[in-house]
Amino acid sequence: MRLLDKFANALSSLWLSCTLLVLLGLLTWLGTLEQVHTGLFEVQRKYFESLFLVHHAGPVPIPLPGATLVLGLLFVNLVLGGIVRIRKTGATAGILVTHVGILMLITAGFVKAYFSEDGQVTLYEGQRANAFESYHHWEIAITEQLPSGELREVVAGQSQFDGAGPGRSALLRSSDLPFEIEVARFIPNCGVLPKGPMVTTTVPVVDGYFLQSRPLETQNEQNVAGAYVALVEKQGATRKEGILWGGSRAPWTVESGGRKYGVELRRERWVMPFTVALEEFTKEDHPRMMMPKSFSSDVTVVEKGSQRPVKISMNEPLRQEGLVLYQASWGPANARPGEPLFSTLAVVRNPADQYPLYSCIVIAVGLLMHFSRKLFKHIRAEAQRAP
Amino acid sequence: MKNLIRILTVAIPLLALIGAASAQGQAPFQRGAPWSARTLELAEHLPVQDGGRIKPLSTYAAFTLLRLNGRRSVTTPAEEKLTPTEWLLDVLFVPAQAADYPVFMVSDMQAVEAIGVSVADKKKRDRYSMNELRPAVRKLFELARDYEQIEEKARSTVQNQVFGLATNVDSYLRLETHFDYARQDLDVSESAGLRRVFGADRARFSQVLAQMPALAALQRESRGDPARAADSKALDKLLQSANELTSGTESLALIPATGTLAAEPEWHSPADLFAHAFDQGGLAQPYIDELAAFEDTARNAGDPARFEQALEALHAKTVAAATVRGEYAKIGLEIGYYKADYITRSLAIFVLGFLLAAALWLFPRIKLLYWGANAAVAVATGLLIVAIVVRCMIRERPPVSTLYETVLFVTAVGAVLALVMERINRQRMGLSAAAILGVIGLFVANGYETLDKRDTMPQLVAVLDTNFWLATHVTAITIGYSAGMLAALLASVFLVSRLFGIKKGDPAYFKNLTRMTYGTLAFGLIFSVVGTILGGIWANESWGRFWGWDPKENGALLICLAQIFILHARMGGYVRDFGINMLAAFGGTVVGFSWFGVNLLGVGLHSYGFTSGIHTALWGYYLGQWGLMALAGGQYWIERVRADAARQALESQGRGATAPQVQ
Repeated sequence: MRLLDKFANALSSLWLSCTLLVLLGLLTWLGTLEQVHTGLFEVQRKYFESLFLVHHAGPVPIPLPGATLVLGLLFVNLVLGGIVRIRKTGATAGILVTHVGILMLITAGFVKAYFSEDGQVTLYEGQRANAFESYHHWEIAITEQLPSGELREVVAGQSQFDGAGPGRSALLRSSDLPFEIEVARFIPNCGVLPKGPMVTTTVPVVDGYFLQSRPLETQNEQNVAGAYVALVEKQGATRKEGILWGGSRAPWTVESGGRKYGVELRRERWVMPFTVALEEFTKEDHPRMMMPKSFSSDVTVVEKGSQRPVKISMNEPLRQEGLVLYQASWGPANARPGEPLFSTLAVVRNPADQYPLYSCIVIAVGLLMHFSRKLFKHIRAEAQRAP
Repeated sequence: MKNLIRILTVAIPLLALIGAASAQGQAPFQRGAPWSARTLELAEHLPVQDGGRIKPLSTYAAFTLLRLNGRRSVTTPAEEKLTPTEWLLDVLFVPAQAADYPVFMVSDMQAVEAIGVSVADKKKRDRYSMNELRPAVRKLFELARDYEQIEEKARSTVQNQVFGLATNVDSYLRLETHFDYARQDLDVSESAGLRRVFGADRARFSQVLAQMPALAALQRESRGDPARAADSKALDKLLQSANELTSGTESLALIPATGTLAAEPEWHSPADLFAHAFDQGGLAQPYIDELAAFEDTARNAGDPARFEQALEALHAKTVAAATVRGEYAKIGLEIGYYKADYITRSLAIFVLGFLLAAALWLFPRIKLLYWGANAAVAVATGLLIVAIVVRCMIRERPPVSTLYETVLFVTAVGAVLALVMERINRQRMGLSAAAILGVIGLFVANGYETLDKRDTMPQLVAVLDTNFWLATHVTAITIGYSAGMLAALLASVFLVSRLFGIKKGDPAYFKNLTRMTYGTLAFGLIFSVVGTILGGIWANESWGRFWGWDPKENGALLICLAQIFILHARMGGYVRDFGINMLAAFGGTVVGFSWFGVNLLGVGLHSYGFTSGIHTALWGYYLGQWGLMALAGGQYWIERVRADAARQALESQGRGATAPQVQ
């Protein structure tokens, strides 16, 4: 029991709070400087979404806890020390309120990290879509056209085949399919090249083509993944090898049991409960300048037969059914006047979308309570001292 | 940089034009006496569309001259000191004379040597006139285009200098030749058809545009008719000459559009109007009148009285057109802002306040000194606030939307905070801090403006075009910066006093300072935290994520963490007076990193306002602040070691006397 007490004491101590604050500051600082050399995505993974990491200060390796661990500990520390154990008097009321607000904020962060989906939908004027694509994650989709004309999809997320490589192949199976897909190798960034007579490769060659691995781009969304896969019949031992590549225009078509399937490596895709149609994209520059003044997309939101026009612009997203659509990008950059433009809308489903606003209000109230109390006490003391 | 390729390729044909201008034997005007007060007033009040907004010609002149000359005045070879507007009038209307003014500031004469200009009797850092550089302009542009291929970071200093000089010379040449179209007649004597259209041998540019329908008819009639080949050829030549006269005028849009503001936001340059008239086969009468008014003005530059008269008419016409569009309302306000020169005056009075406050520490009993210093600092702060308010009125924006404005606002808020603390405890510390902050802040503001050399009231990119978030997030976070800097300043006063044994026998002095540091930090924490979270909420509204570990976001988080850390370390008893002040001093450098440092990293969504000179200044501040901390820390450590030794010595002697303590 005494050991447990000691442990609880340590977890709730101010000393731990201070240490964690310093660590978080250090990680933030290192993660900021590191962005100059590696991209934001890599930095986020290494410093902020990790439990542990090794930072290299020149030749010196420094082991550090990752921001996820630090924030997790801070959360526990705050609950135990800042809420449960803190003396509860008028003097600490403001502090308590502030701590609750901070907890809400950290909670929002965790909810966002583990329960949100974010991606984008790119539309040319006149196009419509009811799904959005991930920026970062891939999936393998096996599509079958049913006799009714409908499409049936079986989808495997990247986590099921991430890290597949020699000696570590991943097997994707589903009761809906008469075959399994074996992912022999997953390459996060690659291109497809024909195998000429002068080319030697260390990877397999399928139908005269192979995947050439490329170094990861600092902007993760520029990476195009590829995979060596094999279709393995559940009945009998036929095996058919193929290449999937994220940039290909059409799926790999295979036949099994007399039926046709399309197999495709694509960015992870989520269906939206409504359809957006881009009517017009407008980009306005400041007069006689190349500096953008505003971007906006006039879209029509179609849902259960009804439709309404909406203008999505910078700072004014569309919020609908838990999804938020933002004006993120546009193109083609070299389009001449009158040529059709496309607009990229970022799409986010974040259950904690509005938490930060609430926590901001709570924190502001808490801090005001605490410090105004102190200030008035101080002014009163000064006034008594002065006369 | 892509812009510049375009600019430079346009600039080369301009040179041919300059040769043509002098060859035609135009009598070069000379200005015998200074421009009349009325002339200057009219010129200042001429509106121009530049940088995406309508501004007074005086503002345009001031920043153009600042870019070229590194300051807002020019001294002529005749030792006449000119204001920006006087200088611009000379360049535009008496270019032959203005070409002798040394207005091109070159920091390293190697850049000028590289293009083959004589540097005899020049200093390493010196000014050159257009006429001195003119023989080498072709070489200058050739080199600049070569250096343009080199990535900016890889360029040597001299290469950058050459590049910068080329940009400046290019913009100067455009100004010098801008009114060529207005000064020169076009020859229409070579064909009977043209003579009939114009009823004379020579025509003005505006007349050519006015006769565009007749010229189009002439073209239709004469094309393909061998008997009228002379007409056709002369017409082609006329249009080509008219086009050439306007080439290079695109950069100065002095002619208001005739449509409504929403339908036709862009003002016009003569080049636009020529292209428009050519494409449409005609031009609206108001534009022709406007061009004619410029012609009258430019042609009378040799006669001060008639020049003033012509300018009066031009001004009335232009202002009326701008007023109809609702674009003239802020011109007077902006001229007033720069005339009043609030920032320089405020700085001067802050310096006075600082001197009085310094004297007050030597003669603390002189009441008059105390109130004098208070009054000076209050007046200076008031002037600064007026400046910020006027800027808000001109821009119709909340107080802070550019890096330059953060400096003004941080200074104003810090000074007000310090004055409030002075009112509370009347210990002279708040007063002195306000004076020091005012002097440093406005010095930095002026330095920033001089380094940046661009209009400090620019248009904003799309994402910043939201007064709600500028007013809430940006204002809050900037108040947070202000409190952080003020706390660091108070802490530095504490550390310096301690280091040099000032007020050694007065523990209350140090207690008071610490209390002020703590109060400022607490005040700042509210704004830093709220401002940072509001920033996240804004990001969530515009980019769809609350937090993206972007450098500017991280900087704001670092400020919050530093301030939270200090308060918790104090609460836990891990630091006392000395420690709080050490940490607050360090907090100043955290603010510096977040405020300016992350912008210099050149990554992320917020890297606006990049200016190379900031790098040096920022590192100067870091090193100064850390140096002070190191010295104070070292002294503290030595004192502690000595105190420990003394205590041990006492204890070993078995006496219970109290040992010296370190505060």
